[in-house]
Amino acid sequence: MSRFFKMVFNEQFKIYIRKSTWIMYILLAGIIIVAGVSTKAFVDLEDQYQNDDWREVMQEENAQLQKEQEEYQKKMEENEDSFSIGPDMSRVKKNNYYLEHDIQPTGYGAWQFVKDNEMLLSIVSLLTIIIAAGIVAQEFRWGTIKLLLIRPISRTQVLLSKYAAVLVFAFLTLLFVLSFSWIVGAILFGVEGINPEIVAPVDFLDMNTAYEQINIINSILTGYGYSLVNLVMMATFAFMISTVFKNGTLAIGTAVFLMFTGNSIVMFFSDHAWAKYILFANTNLKMYEDGTNQLFEGMTLGFSISVLVVYYIVFMVLSWLFFTKRDVAGQ
Amino acid sequence: MTAPAMELSNVNKTIGSKKIIKDLSFTINKGEVFGFIGPNGAGKTTTIRMMVGLMKITNGDVRILGKSIKTDYKDAVREVGAIVENPELYPFMSGWQNLKHFARMMPGITNERIMDVVKLLGMEKPIKEKVGRYSLGMRQRLGIAQALLHNPSVLILDEPTNGLDPAGIREIRKYIRKLAEEENVAVIISSHLLSEIELMCDRIGIIKNGELITTEYVHDTEDENLKQFSLEATPATEALHIIQNDFGFDVTTQDDMLTFKCAKEQMPPLTKALIEHNIQLYQVNMKNDSLEDKFFDLIGENTIE
Repeated sequence: MSRFFKMVFNEQFKIYIRKSTWIMYILLAGIIIVAGVSTKAFVDLEDQYQNDDWREVMQEENAQLQKEQEEYQKKMEENEDSFSIGPDMSRVKKNNYYLEHDIQPTGYGAWQFVKDNEMLLSIVSLLTIIIAAGIVAQEFRWGTIKLLLIRPISRTQVLLSKYAAVLVFAFLTLLFVLSFSWIVGAILFGVEGINPEIVAPVDFLDMNTAYEQINIINSILTGYGYSLVNLVMMATFAFMISTVFKNGTLAIGTAVFLMFTGNSIVMFFSDHAWAKYILFANTNLKMYEDGTNQLFEGMTLGFSISVLVVYYIVFMVLSWLFFTKRDVAGQ
Repeated sequence: MTAPAMELSNVNKTIGSKKIIKDLSFTINKGEVFGFIGPNGAGKTTTIRMMVGLMKITNGDVRILGKSIKTDYKDAVREVGAIVENPELYPFMSGWQNLKHFARMMPGITNERIMDVVKLLGMEKPIKEKVGRYSLGMRQRLGIAQALLHNPSVLILDEPTNGLDPAGIREIRKYIRKLAEEENVAVIISSHLLSEIELMCDRIGIIKNGELITTEYVHDTEDENLKQFSLEATPATEALHIIQNDFGFDVTTQDDMLTFKCAKEQMPPLTKALIEHNIQLYQVNMKNDSLEDKFFDLIGENTIE
């Protein structure tokens, strides 16, 4: 068993010794810093509510917004053709929530910044796909596969160690995004406490949404956790293409293409009953918690998990079959 | 009797409907340097790939110290160190990192052992450099080092002197001889460089179109005194008659050329006999029977089918 760990270590070593990996990390760090600086510069961080007079500030703001809204409506009635954007009335709603529940808003800090960086997970997916696509195909390209396979280790173990290395890479990169975001957030905004809670809209896309109080760390864990499903599936897909076709470019291309077009593909075929069996109709497990975006009738959490498991097994078995049965000949 | 270092029995390889390797059988003993030669496309590399389990054997078996590569893969391959085709290593890692990488895949290889191998191949200086900067000769040595880490009983080297300068070739040759003689390692070397094989090997196997044509000892002790002669004579049939019946040599004819083996001392009486029978002699040649001649005698032209 310790041999297996050594082999995973070997694969990690080969990933992290290369400059291209470090460039990926530098890129990721750069994106986080830019996100932090622009958040500080352009986003309403609710600093105005941090003093003891936050109730008065909110009431004033509400009155101000109400007035603006009335003026705006009057203007719209007078001149129906004009097009302009009214004041942000969701602010009023949010303020009312705070006032009703007598909660002083938590200031923006490292935890919220981490939560806001959840979208960076798609970049982590991208990097993981790149690694997964290369990890088998490159050994063939370099010719080193011959030296790997003439060891007293079964091909199944060689393949598994590579797959494990991909998952370890994804995990470490995720950890990097979380911790680096937190550090950047802490430096730019400070830390809002050990276990802070914030008020957030129930549904981000709905203008008239209600508000609720949520625990940030919980929200981070579930948010990142749900996105991991997609990450693992796409990485496994890229790994499979890489192993079957010995072609890293093809693997990156197809996996990235599918990652970005997956939802459109589901939409395109949504008239058909079988569309619910498409992988991408099932990767967003969050929809079952929210109760939103139910795509097809009869879809349940159990159904989606079963579909995911079937896809996963197919990907793994195909990789395994091609890798273990293949004659390793010249290029 | 102990098992031979490597034994091929009726090895066949079929890809699609094409038979690449046909009924290959031979054994290589411990402490023997075996040269595996043949024209391009004869199936040398395919055979080597089957020996180490990179390719499936369609029919037949390869046994290493009696262990089948098909059914007992791990135990069989443990005894093998190999370079297949070019010495391809990770260019972005140093020589040392490459060796460590492969050492982790096999049990019980200490840093001291790696260092010993490095010293053996005279690579102490460039071992910390990236392999991408190595010359072909240095990569070749690193490839050999990689194959030797686990003290294999069988060492398989595909074109080991490729890219080495004459001094390097001599060093490798000496080293291979030493391995075979002192550590009782069976070494299998494939090459087109016939003169090289001749200097290094105890025995050669010649392969053509996937078939083993012959295996023979490089230094044929029993034939030491026999030289190959060819003579051009007319009428050839009469000359053939005389040489075969009166002297008892095995003669092959091609047009008016008669070729046979005999001791040098027997030639004067033979020519005298021919002249006495009124046979016209145009030329008599003694061949120094080098491996190259053997090779071309057996292979004919270098044809790929």
